[in-house]
Amino acid sequence: MEFVISHLVKSYGSKQVLKDVDFVFGEGRIYGLLGRNGSGKTTFFNCINNDIDINSGEFYFRGNDGGKVPVMPEDIGYLVSTPTVPEFMTGREFLKFFIEVHEEITPDRTIDEYFDYMMVPEDDRDRLLKDYSHGTKNKMQMLLNIIASPKLMLLDEPLTSLDVIIAEEMKNVIRNQKQGRITIFSTHLLDVAVDLCDEIVLLHNGRLEPIDKSNLGDDAFKEKIIAALRDQDDA
Amino acid sequence: MLNELRKNLAKVIHLRSIIGYNGMVYALKKTPVIGRLIPDKLYGTKFLKVIYWVFHVIMEVFKLFIGKIFGLGMIYLLSFFLAKGYIENEIVNSVAESEVFAGLALFFFLVYALCGILINRPYFRCTPEKEYLVFMLRMNARKLNNTLFIYDLAKLVAGYLIAGIFGLILGAPFWLCAAIPVLAVFIKLFGTGVQASRFRNKNKRHKPMKDSTFSIVFGIFLVFMGMPFILVLIADGCYIPLPVLLAVAGVLVLLGLWGFTVLRGFDPFLHRRALNDNIVRNEVSRYKTPDNTRSFKNIKAKGTVKGDKKGFEYLNALFVRRHAGMLVAKPVVFTVFILLIMVLLIAGFIYKYYMQFGSDNCLNMVGTNLLNLMLFRHYEDALFPFDAESADTFFRWLAQYHMLAMLIPVSIADNSFKSTQAMYINCDNSLMTFSFFKQREKIIRLFDIRLKQLIKIHLAPAIVCGLSADLILFYTGGQDYPFQYVLTVLVCIFMSISYSVIWLSMYYLFQPFTTTVNVKSGVYNAVRIIVTTILGILVWIPANTAVLTALMLVFTAAFIFVMRKLVYKHAPKTWKAKA
Repeated sequence: MEFVISHLVKSYGSKQVLKDVDFVFGEGRIYGLLGRNGSGKTTFFNCINNDIDINSGEFYFRGNDGGKVPVMPEDIGYLVSTPTVPEFMTGREFLKFFIEVHEEITPDRTIDEYFDYMMVPEDDRDRLLKDYSHGTKNKMQMLLNIIASPKLMLLDEPLTSLDVIIAEEMKNVIRNQKQGRITIFSTHLLDVAVDLCDEIVLLHNGRLEPIDKSNLGDDAFKEKIIAALRDQDDA
Repeated sequence: MLNELRKNLAKVIHLRSIIGYNGMVYALKKTPVIGRLIPDKLYGTKFLKVIYWVFHVIMEVFKLFIGKIFGLGMIYLLSFFLAKGYIENEIVNSVAESEVFAGLALFFFLVYALCGILINRPYFRCTPEKEYLVFMLRMNARKLNNTLFIYDLAKLVAGYLIAGIFGLILGAPFWLCAAIPVLAVFIKLFGTGVQASRFRNKNKRHKPMKDSTFSIVFGIFLVFMGMPFILVLIADGCYIPLPVLLAVAGVLVLLGLWGFTVLRGFDPFLHRRALNDNIVRNEVSRYKTPDNTRSFKNIKAKGTVKGDKKGFEYLNALFVRRHAGMLVAKPVVFTVFILLIMVLLIAGFIYKYYMQFGSDNCLNMVGTNLLNLMLFRHYEDALFPFDAESADTFFRWLAQYHMLAMLIPVSIADNSFKSTQAMYINCDNSLMTFSFFKQREKIIRLFDIRLKQLIKIHLAPAIVCGLSADLILFYTGGQDYPFQYVLTVLVCIFMSISYSVIWLSMYYLFQPFTTTVNVKSGVYNAVRIIVTTILGILVWIPANTAVLTALMLVFTAAFIFVMRKLVYKHAPKTWKAKA
């Protein structure tokens, strides 16, 4: 399975944020979507998640037989950088509700086992979500996406403002969950992208461009990306 | 000096016009529908800038007219009529009419001017153009403040001189019309001097200036409260003799001179600091603005959902339980209020019996007659013969043929708008990031559950509205046809259901709320205005209750059907989170 984006364009008035996005994402890989602040990463995700209308272009799944498969809402899991949760529910109540409304899913664990998997502290589980820390809210959001098991996972800077321990825990979960789905991970932090992702894609000047992943992680590679982003911005 | 004044003023006016024009274009660009048609290059269109200039000048002249010419003109007019009355009714003797006129006008002007210096204190107010010029373009704050102050004084003198012509026509002495503009300048100098002096003293002791808006408003309120007594005294012929008023004016002139010396000694750095303090105060008050979301955030994890509710039923039941106060308080308060009115109506009914039969027989009569009514339906025995000439006829007519007027109380009891706000801020805003929440089937399932819930919440107030109309019917002659009492209640219930459907489906079709619970949708606001207008028209249409019930039944059913279809079709696209 592949996720194909074809000539996607999105403008706000006269400002064209996404100019001609054309890319194919493959299954089982984590793509690091790298771009400078304001380059349009969140707009790109919002377009894919159907939160905003696109001006032109299309996106779809390409099955193993090569046929087009339309993207349905249930195919997408979207983690936002500032997680919002229904504040009037406890973590346990929210998880119970979430599992119940996903009738198509047969959970392979109990609620507490899910909490254990995401390392949600026991004393948090029966507290209102509004009293959760930023990191725990993020874990809850991730957990719900794991349960829903979408084909396409959009992660919009999910590690921003997490402490080192929780960030590491989240990275491990993302790595463990990559099989059988396409994961696109947006960040403006080069080190995070290099550490976590199998592929790096640059978003600048409204276009997606793959970066040759050979020597991924060495200093020359980082310099290459920085130079590319700077060049594009200054051009 | 004049040249420098002119240059500074030109800078300020130029900047003011840029800020004003750009602000206007920005506002236009934010206007729904029209905004999309307006190109960015409008910011640089010279032709429109000239039009804005013309508009700006008209506004300046208008302000001059309202504040100065109109204010002083009214004082002259009032003094003219009072002086005439004093002379004609011989309230004052051996004093010339022009002197009485001058005394009254001077008195009113002094009150007006002293209130004015309390309300209108622009000297240290940091407007956007002042902020740019002083803090970004490093202009001398003292020169800028003084330029604007002199400009204001010039407008003041010009306005009062024009008003003086009107005064002369009415018969005011020339010296008064010439002296008032001069006196106004001194009073203004005094007020501004006090302001500067206070700032300097506070600044010496490193104490911030406090916002004294409340005390000023309270002071002016007291003056207004006192005015009727003063006017009574004036009407009785009491007035302050002119020499006393002239002495007060003289003192004010001296105080004005003092104010002038204070302002002369106020150095540029103090000016700059005073403007900066004003910016800080404005920022602080901006942060103090009440948080709209606070009332929605008071949730406690008390209780849980009983029974075997699952999925969206479970979500809704939890939501209602944790937001019970927010959702139910208004309908409950309304219901209790209407019930109290009904109790008063019943008490009034019993009181009539009491007046007729005295205390001993009153309860006996009420009991016997009501029993008679219920068992044998002998209405005339039960109640006093209905007086067709009384004011009750009007109320009876309302209950018989004007039940659409009930749209008003039913809308007052309706809490659907706030309920949708709570739904968004505490529940949907977060769940909208999950894909399952945007699936058609799930959206409509939750919509149905919520609609039922809103209908349930508003059932009690709708029933009491109907019952209160029934009470009027009962008290004024009973029902005209079988089941009229029941139909009256049903009409109110259908109205209440329609309100719930309107607000809930509008929420799903436009999702207008931001995370700060503000409405950020021009279309939503437009639909709101249209709906309110239609309801406002409907309220005036008379209709027989039986016919109305049938119409409302059909309308409500059709309305629910159509709205469900629209929500099912469009909500996956329209029901989205807004920043």
